[in-house]
Amino acid sequence: MYRILVIDDEEEVRHALQRRLQREGYQVDVAEGETDGIEKIKQASPAYDVVITDMAMENPDSGVRILEAALAHDLFSEVIVLTAYGNVANAVECMRRGAFDYVEKNIPGVDVYELLVLKIEQALERRRSAVNTLRRMEEITRRLTSSMRRGD
Amino acid sequence: MSKQQQYRQALQQLGKVARQAVSQPDIDRFLDYALEEGMKLVGGFRAFIALVDDDAGELVIHSALGPGWDEEKRQRRLQVAQEEGKGITGYVAATQRPYCTGDVNHDPHYLKFFEDVVSELAVPIVDAYGRTRGVINIESDQPDAFDEEDVSSVALLADLCLTALTLHQSRVRQEALVQIGNELSTSEDLDDLMRTVLDVAAKVLRFEDCSVFLIDDDQKRLILAASSGALKEQVGKVSYPLGEGLTGWVAQHGEAVRTANPREDPRWRGIAIEMPVEQIGAFLAVPVWGRERTIGVIRVVRRRSLAPWFDNCFTDDELEVLSAIGSQLGSAIESLNMRHRLVQTERMAAWGEMSAKAAHMIGNRTFAIKGDLNEVEYLLQQPEVNREELTELIGSIRRGISRLEEILHEFRDFVMATHLSTGVDNVNNIIAQTVAEIFPRRGPVELKLELDSRLPDIRCDAVKLKRCFAEMIENSLSFQPEGGELFIRTGLVDSRALPVRLGVARNKQFVHVQFCDKGPGVPADIKEKIFQPFFSSRVKGMGLGLSIVKGIVEAHRGFVYEDGVPGKGACFHILLPVNGKPSGEQTDVKER
Repeated sequence: MYRILVIDDEEEVRHALQRRLQREGYQVDVAEGETDGIEKIKQASPAYDVVITDMAMENPDSGVRILEAALAHDLFSEVIVLTAYGNVANAVECMRRGAFDYVEKNIPGVDVYELLVLKIEQALERRRSAVNTLRRMEEITRRLTSSMRRGD
Repeated sequence: MSKQQQYRQALQQLGKVARQAVSQPDIDRFLDYALEEGMKLVGGFRAFIALVDDDAGELVIHSALGPGWDEEKRQRRLQVAQEEGKGITGYVAATQRPYCTGDVNHDPHYLKFFEDVVSELAVPIVDAYGRTRGVINIESDQPDAFDEEDVSSVALLADLCLTALTLHQSRVRQEALVQIGNELSTSEDLDDLMRTVLDVAAKVLRFEDCSVFLIDDDQKRLILAASSGALKEQVGKVSYPLGEGLTGWVAQHGEAVRTANPREDPRWRGIAIEMPVEQIGAFLAVPVWGRERTIGVIRVVRRRSLAPWFDNCFTDDELEVLSAIGSQLGSAIESLNMRHRLVQTERMAAWGEMSAKAAHMIGNRTFAIKGDLNEVEYLLQQPEVNREELTELIGSIRRGISRLEEILHEFRDFVMATHLSTGVDNVNNIIAQTVAEIFPRRGPVELKLELDSRLPDIRCDAVKLKRCFAEMIENSLSFQPEGGELFIRTGLVDSRALPVRLGVARNKQFVHVQFCDKGPGVPADIKEKIFQPFFSSRVKGMGLGLSIVKGIVEAHRGFVYEDGVPGKGACFHILLPVNGKPSGEQTDVKER
């Protein structure tokens, strides 16, 4: 079962996200803000597959710090940043630093939850292929190393 | 006693009077004393000093000694003389020369008032500008009672009286000018400032009417900003093009104009005048100086005096005094404008921040509600509807919407905090109502009320104050969830008893409301910050609560601060001025 961490300082938002994502079959943990979120990311073993974080919490760029913590803990964690109020500049900054995507919480006429579920699936897909690639590379490296030994 | 002894004694006496002239702070007591010494010196039996009443241009008896005086006689003595156009006192005031007669019954100027007078001596008090300030009059029941030496002695006495009068006047002016500085710098808005400047000008200068004009840069005109008399109704309506008329000339050239007869001045236009021009006896206008340029004109006029010998023109002294007022007013207006701009800027910044914050919070709430609705929809699509879950989701949606409403409320209250609709009300009543409406009867927090029954009614917006007190109560309750105490106390307090840092003007009274609790209190480093928008750590609303309180209190020209001991409980103080005119007052003022 994939593990997702939802970080948002608004209780209602956490609750709504958790409920929906659990329905999709994920194991969902929640954190109440930047500090709590970073703590949970560091403690997680194995690492969360996907981290969904609000952009502006204790700091206007809390999302960026969460992203850094998540990637430092596991380079292949996927981070999706949520923005509540047109704070696109910071979200774009997150993308530049390796976030999977950003989603605006309020898009008129769009079911953002549906959109988020879709993004999570894509993010998991990317993580799977990245992990597979890594495994294959590890496999190749191992074979090369052993053939080189045999060739001694 | 030899002549020489007499002379020496007289000198000693006059020396004493001279010392008193400069050291006695009470001018009335000095004049009484000087007159008594004068009477002793020349051997009179009745005497008085008459001073010119500057407003009326008439002589008025000031000190009176000897037999036969009563209030009625004091009143009538000179009235008679002036009405008849005769009398020795009036004659001396007009000629400015001493007059002495040894037989009043055969004197052409004498006007009989007391039966027993035979000799009379009158000496004028004339100031440095050559204006009569008064007359010293000494009478005797003996014929030929006074000689040339007596005249000289009383003339010396008259000079000493002038010294004392001049000193007294400059002392009064000095005090008033210092006061002007203080009062102008504590004025809270332009209306207040204008009222104050007219008041203080009246204290130090004698005039019939005083008007202040300020330059409107957009229109390049001088607009009447305040007037103490006939033009009062024209404030804001009357205006001069820069350079037009005497007043316009002053504004354009930054120099004063002083004239006894404005009509004869070629610059005179008569655009806005306080009285018919033929009645004006003196006109003085000086520029109101800002830091870099003239920002207005303050002018005063006097009526033409009826007494032909009475020169009513403004003196050099008076020109200096008005110029001082003009520059004090200029800097007060500029600092007021600066303060105003600062407040505007702060408010605009708060607006920007608030819009962003509100949008953020509304966005989050809406997002959560949308999520809940999705779930409701999903549940309804299931073959079997889980009622319990459905009920829970609907409760969540309801809470979300109610939080949206809280935000709207707070937004509105923040914006409207400074728009008051005032009436006359008693703060005790408002507190009692607020407590009755919102304080939970069976809550864990104990309420103690101590309302001072001497509290006067004040001009205030009862609805806004209720909102403000409710916020204080809710704030206290939210910090004592496990129970505690809230002590609300009202009282009357004088500005002297308040912390200096508040910068409260002197001699003001305030209704004082305290909210003290036994919660965690406010850490020293955030005592000031808690009143800033969005500072609050409370979950409810947007964190505007205390900034709304501050807005409401300040719109009432009041103060709010917190000075509890951190760790032992918060103690909030709200001060609302008695006799204050709230700044955010709307035009639809209603009495309650």
